[in-house]
Amino acid sequence: MQKEAIHVLLADDDVDDRLFFKEAFEEIKIKTNVQIVKDGMELMKELNRPDAKLPHILFLDLNMPRKTGMECLKEIKENDKFNDIAIAIYSTSASEQDIEQTFVNGANVYIKKPNDFGTLKKILTEIITVNWQYHTSGLDRSNFLLSL
Amino acid sequence: MKGTGILNMSFLLKGIFASSVFILIFISIVSYKHATSLTASSDALQHSYNVRNELEQVISFIKDAETGQRGYLLSHDSSMLAPYLNARDKVNKSMYSLSILAKGKPLQEANLDTLYNLITERFAYMNLLLNASGKISMNDELLHRNLMKEQEVMNKIRMRVDNMMSLEQQFLSDRKEQFKNEMSFTPLFTFLLLIFSVMVFIFAYLRLNSQVTVLRNSNEALQLSAEQINHAEHIGAFSTWRWNSKNHEIEYSDNYAALLETGVDRKQIPFRDIIEKVHPDDRAAVIAYNQTPGSRNSAPLLYRIYRSDGDLRYFSSVGKTVHTLNGSAIYLGITSDITEEYKKNLSLQERNLELEQTNKELASFNYVASHDLQEPLRIIQTYISRIQEKEKHNLSESASEYFERIRSSANRMQVLISDLLMFSRTNKAEKVFEPADLNELLAQARQDLSALIEEKKAVIDCDQLPELSVIPYQIKQLFLNLIGNSLKYAREGVSPKIEIRKRALTDEECPQFRRNPRLKYTCISVIDNGLGFEQQFAENIFVLFKRLHQKNEYPGTGIGLSICKKIAEIHSGFIYAEGFTNQGSKFHIILPEASA
Repeated sequence: MQKEAIHVLLADDDVDDRLFFKEAFEEIKIKTNVQIVKDGMELMKELNRPDAKLPHILFLDLNMPRKTGMECLKEIKENDKFNDIAIAIYSTSASEQDIEQTFVNGANVYIKKPNDFGTLKKILTEIITVNWQYHTSGLDRSNFLLSL
Repeated sequence: MKGTGILNMSFLLKGIFASSVFILIFISIVSYKHATSLTASSDALQHSYNVRNELEQVISFIKDAETGQRGYLLSHDSSMLAPYLNARDKVNKSMYSLSILAKGKPLQEANLDTLYNLITERFAYMNLLLNASGKISMNDELLHRNLMKEQEVMNKIRMRVDNMMSLEQQFLSDRKEQFKNEMSFTPLFTFLLLIFSVMVFIFAYLRLNSQVTVLRNSNEALQLSAEQINHAEHIGAFSTWRWNSKNHEIEYSDNYAALLETGVDRKQIPFRDIIEKVHPDDRAAVIAYNQTPGSRNSAPLLYRIYRSDGDLRYFSSVGKTVHTLNGSAIYLGITSDITEEYKKNLSLQERNLELEQTNKELASFNYVASHDLQEPLRIIQTYISRIQEKEKHNLSESASEYFERIRSSANRMQVLISDLLMFSRTNKAEKVFEPADLNELLAQARQDLSALIEEKKAVIDCDQLPELSVIPYQIKQLFLNLIGNSLKYAREGVSPKIEIRKRALTDEECPQFRRNPRLKYTCISVIDNGLGFEQQFAENIFVLFKRLHQKNEYPGTGIGLSICKKIAEIHSGFIYAEGFTNQGSKFHIILPEASA
């Protein structure tokens, strides 16, 4: 068991997905601290707050109103302050174009939202147990898209 | 080549002209000199003759005087004295003539002086005797002595005259010698020169003759080419032009009138007449172009012009600076009637716009299908999995079954959506053909299907496949779909055996598959021992959504083989199937070895 709860932040505009995400972490037996924002604007506001506690892992939906996940990704990667945040793209689409662009822009992993709750739990467990500090050094296009 | 030939000829002509002029001048100079020399010789001869004549006359006059004197001395008849008296004057006259003739010849002048003195002496003696004629007798001593003296002086005179004559002879022969020296080589030289000039003229004539032939041939070729241009202009509906740098106007060929269908067979249409027909909005541009076509080198001018029948035509002018043989720049160009192309282009552009619009709509449909349709479906699926897991115990048996049915339908819908998406994304646009090892692509497909292959205990036997220029992921998809198909439609209780065979298509074989008869084709066959199908459905199975089986018997959307067909067509290839009910099926893919 870890000494400190893993801080997880999700940015997703879909209310159902937010619910599944929250419930999945409740069922996973790992100490986590889940924070959820409703879109890209809110996400950037949250991250840029002076007293913000930065997440270990950010789950980023791509298709969001006001500010898309792609825009957020670019903004985060431009700011050295956020260097330690591991970014997992969390999207319905798995189009080549999206995968390519998020990889180029420095996301750590690409998750296609599963259509099964059990799979979702497995994926999330996988993601938060990876030591991203080590993982990023061996970042590779071929295993960028997470498949279980 | 012809250009340089004509240039050479003009050099040749100039050379011949220059040498001819030179030769003529030379011959003239030589002839003039010759004539002058001849005249001088003839003058010298005449001079010599005159001198001799005068000298002989002098002698003869003196003799006349002597005869007169002697007669008088003998007869004392004074009438005998007449010749003597005349002689003195005549001698003086001749002496005067001689002195003129001797002028410029110091030797003869000296001789003449001496002669004059002698003659004077001679006459003095004669005078002496005449004066004394009354007093002296025939045998007088004085007479005798005087006659002797006279004889002596007379001899001297003769000697002197002889001397002068021989001197004259000397002059004459000198002169002859000189003339001979001067003129000896001239006739030969003149003759040689003449021969040379005749040769030059013959050479010039021959060259000119051959050049005239060349010129005539060039002229014929030129005429032919002009005729060809006229013909081409007529058929191609264009007019050639040349910019006249003197009046700063474009001069069009005859066909311009035909383009405007004026019906007038005029050689030239004046620019002011043309400009009247140009569409008012384009006039300024046409006028500007007309003034300086060279400055717009190669940039075409498009303008509208009213034909004589009132039809508005689109003309395009394009010009170019051309350098002539002598280096001066001229502007040439063509003006063509591009109305038909222009209109076609316009309608093409419109169609393109429409197509682009349609493509955009399709792309947005793709997005809707991939994202917006899948999202609610995924949520439904997730909720079902949630209920089936969490609320399992709270559901009645029938409710559980209904939920299972819902889940199955939702899953099927998801497959349908993703297959449909795959079908619509399978196209040529923006896809790159690259050389790929088909063995590698097949291995990837097998890897993706490994779980299913293992589950069905299938055996796959592959030939060595070639390297082809393809869109790699599409070919992989093709293998995936075909092998997946064979696995799916395996016979119950028979472990699937799949063969993948390759062979080159022979020239005689299946000409209907050869889109390009010049290319070589490879045929790859996927042969299985599965359910097969009736041959009558062999074409139907490639049609979108066509299925041969009940959907609850075998999973599938009826899209997979349609995708295969599309992929084969994108690769300029062909796919067809052979079915043997309950024995198996064969799928043949024919691909060109060098894809376009």
